[in-house]
Amino acid sequence: MMGTNFLTRYRHIAPLAVFRIAFGAVLFYSTVRFIAKGWVYDFYIKPKFHFPFFGFEWLHPLESGYMYALYVMMAIAALFICLGLFYRLATPVFFLCFCYAELLDKTYYLNHYYLVTIISFLLIFVPANRYFSIDLLREPSLEITQVPAWTIWIFKLQLCIIYFFAGLSKLTSDWLLHAMPLKIWLLAKANVPLIGPLLAQSWTAYFFSWAGALFDLSIPFLLLNKSTRTIGYLLVLIFHSLTAVLFQIGMFPYLMISATLIFFSENFHVLLINKIRSLFNASHESSSRIIFLPVHPNRQKLILGLLTVYFFIQLLMPARFLLYPGKLLWTEEGYRFSWRVMLMEKSGAAFFYIKDPASGRKFEVNTANFLTAYQERMMETQPDMMLQYAHILQREYQKQGIQNPEVTVQSYVSLNGSGSMLYIDSTVNLANEKESWFGHKSWILPFTDKRKLR
Amino acid sequence: MKRNRILISLLSIVVCTTIILISCSKSNNNSSTPPPAGNSDPVLTNLGANIIVPAYQQFATDATNLNNAATAFVNAPTANSLSDLRNAFKVAYKSWAAVSEFEFGPAADLFMTTHFTNAFPTDTVTINNNINGASYAIDGLGNYAAQGFPALDFMLFAYGDDASLARFTTNANSNGAKQYLTALTGSLKDKSGKVSSAWTSGQNYLDKFEKATGVNAGSSLSLLVNAFVLDFDVNLQNYKIGIPIGIYGPSTLPKSPAKVEGYYSGTSSELLIAQVQALQHLYTSGAPNALADKVAATNAQKNGGSLNDAIKSQWATLVSKMQALPESLSTGITMDDPTITDAFTEVRKMTVLLKVDMSSALGIKISFQDDDGD
Repeated sequence: MMGTNFLTRYRHIAPLAVFRIAFGAVLFYSTVRFIAKGWVYDFYIKPKFHFPFFGFEWLHPLESGYMYALYVMMAIAALFICLGLFYRLATPVFFLCFCYAELLDKTYYLNHYYLVTIISFLLIFVPANRYFSIDLLREPSLEITQVPAWTIWIFKLQLCIIYFFAGLSKLTSDWLLHAMPLKIWLLAKANVPLIGPLLAQSWTAYFFSWAGALFDLSIPFLLLNKSTRTIGYLLVLIFHSLTAVLFQIGMFPYLMISATLIFFSENFHVLLINKIRSLFNASHESSSRIIFLPVHPNRQKLILGLLTVYFFIQLLMPARFLLYPGKLLWTEEGYRFSWRVMLMEKSGAAFFYIKDPASGRKFEVNTANFLTAYQERMMETQPDMMLQYAHILQREYQKQGIQNPEVTVQSYVSLNGSGSMLYIDSTVNLANEKESWFGHKSWILPFTDKRKLR
Repeated sequence: MKRNRILISLLSIVVCTTIILISCSKSNNNSSTPPPAGNSDPVLTNLGANIIVPAYQQFATDATNLNNAATAFVNAPTANSLSDLRNAFKVAYKSWAAVSEFEFGPAADLFMTTHFTNAFPTDTVTINNNINGASYAIDGLGNYAAQGFPALDFMLFAYGDDASLARFTTNANSNGAKQYLTALTGSLKDKSGKVSSAWTSGQNYLDKFEKATGVNAGSSLSLLVNAFVLDFDVNLQNYKIGIPIGIYGPSTLPKSPAKVEGYYSGTSSELLIAQVQALQHLYTSGAPNALADKVAATNAQKNGGSLNDAIKSQWATLVSKMQALPESLSTGITMDDPTITDAFTEVRKMTVLLKVDMSSALGIKISFQDDDGD
C-alpha cells in the first residue's frame, strides 16, 4: 500500500545527494563571502540598535567574538552539508544559526535568505547524506540507494511555489504596463559593452518585464515535464545568469541554478555522481546494489502531516497581503516571505521629531546617532521599521528624561518612479502605535499614482 | 572501519582549522576604488574631466598659495602679510567647498575628507596645547578636530587683528604658533596635491572613474551621487545650518551660533554660497553630458513636471536663498533672522529631491553599504 503511493514509493536517492552537494557548496561559499565582506561587523556588531522580527524582540546579537564564531560555525556546517559529513548534526546547526541571524534584524531581509532558511529547514528531514557522502566512509552501514519519493518532491514543490508566486506577483500594472522598475534599472546599464544601447530602449524594458513574468509562471511546468526539462533548465541558466550580470543580487542566481538541478531524472543524477566518482578514481561498487531506506510508517506519516501543514502555510503566506487595504508595494504589509523579487525601486527620506509635552519643545532627531546608514535607508521605506524606530527613540529619550516623548515623522517615499510623496501621517504620535499580526497601519498615507502612461 | 573513523575525524579537524584560518586572515577590502568595466560613459567623462579634476586642480593651487602666504607671514609677520594670508585662507576655503562633495576614491584613500579637513567647531584646547609644546602628529587621528580650515579659522581670526598678530610675534609661544600654522597649511598643500595628481597621473583614477559605469555599489555614479548627497544632507543641511539653528537641540536653549562653519572669520554665508554653487555646477554643467541630462533621460516626473526641471530650479532657489543670508550667519542666528530658517526649508526640499526622487530615478541606492539585493 504505502510503497505504491506517489509520495512514499521508493525512488533513487541520487537527486537528493546532488542537491545536497550543490546547494551546500553555494551555502558554504555565500557564508564565507558574508564573513569576508565584513558584514558580520557591519550588520551585527556595529549597529547600536536592531530591528528584530515581530515576536522575536527577545533575540539579541551575541558579543562580537561569538557573532564571528557563529558565522564560522555556519560556514563549517554548510561545508559539512555539502560533503555529507555529520549531516544529521550539520543541518539543524546551520538552520538554527542562520535563522537566528535572520530574525535579529529585518534590515537585512532578502528573499534569498528566506530561501536559504526554508531549504535548510527541509534538509533536516531528508537522509541526503546516505549516498555518496563522507558519512558513509565513517559509517558504511548508513548507505542506501532508495528513498521515499517525498524526500525529493518537497524540494521540487518548494521551488515551484517560489517561481509561481514570483510570477504572480509580477502581474501588476507597474510591472506590465509601466515596465517598472526594470525601465529604471536597465537604463542605468546603457553603457554596458555591446548590449548597452539596447538596454536603454524602452521596449527592452517591456520585453524583459513580460518575458520575466512568463518565465516565472511557466518554469515550474517546463521543469516538471520530462520533454521540456532540458529547455527549461537552459532557460533557468540564461535567466539567472542575466540577472546576475545586470543586477546586484548577490547569491540568489547561484542558489536557484544549483537548486533546480533536482528536477532532472534520477538517471541523470546517478550518471553525474558516477562521473564525479571516476574523477576521483573511486569504484562504482554501490551503483549495482539496491538498499531501501528503512521506514517507520508512523513516523513517516507524522512527518508527512507536518510537511502538509508547512506547505499549506507556504501557499497562504504570499496571499496574506489580501488582508490589508492599499497598494502592497507602498505599504509593504504582507510583502516579506512572499517571493516578491525585484519588484521595487523605492527610496525615502524620513525626518523624525520628538516633542516633550511637558515643555512643549519640539526638535528633530539626528538618525545617524542611532542607526547605520544601511538601517536608515531600509527603515525609510518600510513602515513597520519606522514604528520600531519610533519606539527605540521613545525609550532612548525617556532615558534622557523626557517622560512621554511624542514621536512623529515627516517622511517622503518614491516608488517605481512615482516621485516623492508624503508617506506617513505626520500628525500621528508613533510612540503610541503598536505592531500587530495582521492589523493595517492606518497612519500610512495612501498611494496616489500621478504617473502618465508613457 | 576504525581507520576510516580516525581518518574522518582528522579530515574534519583539518577542514575546521582551514575555515577558521581563512575567515580570520581575510582583510577588510572595503575599497572605494571602482572596479574596471567596459565602455566609458560620456556623462562620467564630463563629470571627471571637466568638473572634478579642474576643481581639485584649483584647490591644489589655492592650497599651495595658502601655504606660501603662511610661509611669507611666518618669515615676516606684519599686518600686511597677515591680511594676505587671511585672503589666501578665504580663497582656499571656498575652493574646498567645491571639492568636499567628492569624498570617494583618492580623497577617501588619502584622508582629504571633511572629517580631517573641515571638522567644526574646531578643538581650540588641542590647538592651544599643540602650540604650547604638546607633541602632535598634524594629520593624526586624534588631531582631526584641531586641523584643516577650522583650525586656521581659529588661529587667524579668533583674536581680532592686533591680538592675532601678537600671537605670532610677541606672545611667549609665537614660535609654536608659527610652526603649527605652517604645519596646518603644509598638510593641506600636500594632501590636495596628492589627491589632484592621483586623479590625473600616477594611479590615473580618472580613467577608472570613466570606465566604472552602471549604478551598482562601487560604480562611479553610485560613489559620486552617494558622496554628494551625503555632503549636502549631512555637511550642509545638518552641520552648517541645522545644528547651529538648533533643530536637534532637546534643551530649551537649543541654538548654537558658535557652531557655524567659518565662525571666527565670519565666512559662513560665503562658504554656503560657494558650496551650493559648486553643487549646482556639478549637476548642470556639461550639456549634453551633464548629470542633469542623465536625470532628464529617465523621464522622471515631479508634481506633473519634469524632475530634472524641478531639481534645476531648486538649485537656483537655493543659490538665491544663500545669497540672501546675513553676512554674519552666527549673528543672524542669534537674532532669529528669518532668512536662515527660510534657507533651511529650501535645503530640506532639495534633500528630498536628491535623496528620494533623483536617486530612485537613477536607480542608485543612497547608503554606504555594499550589499546584496533581490
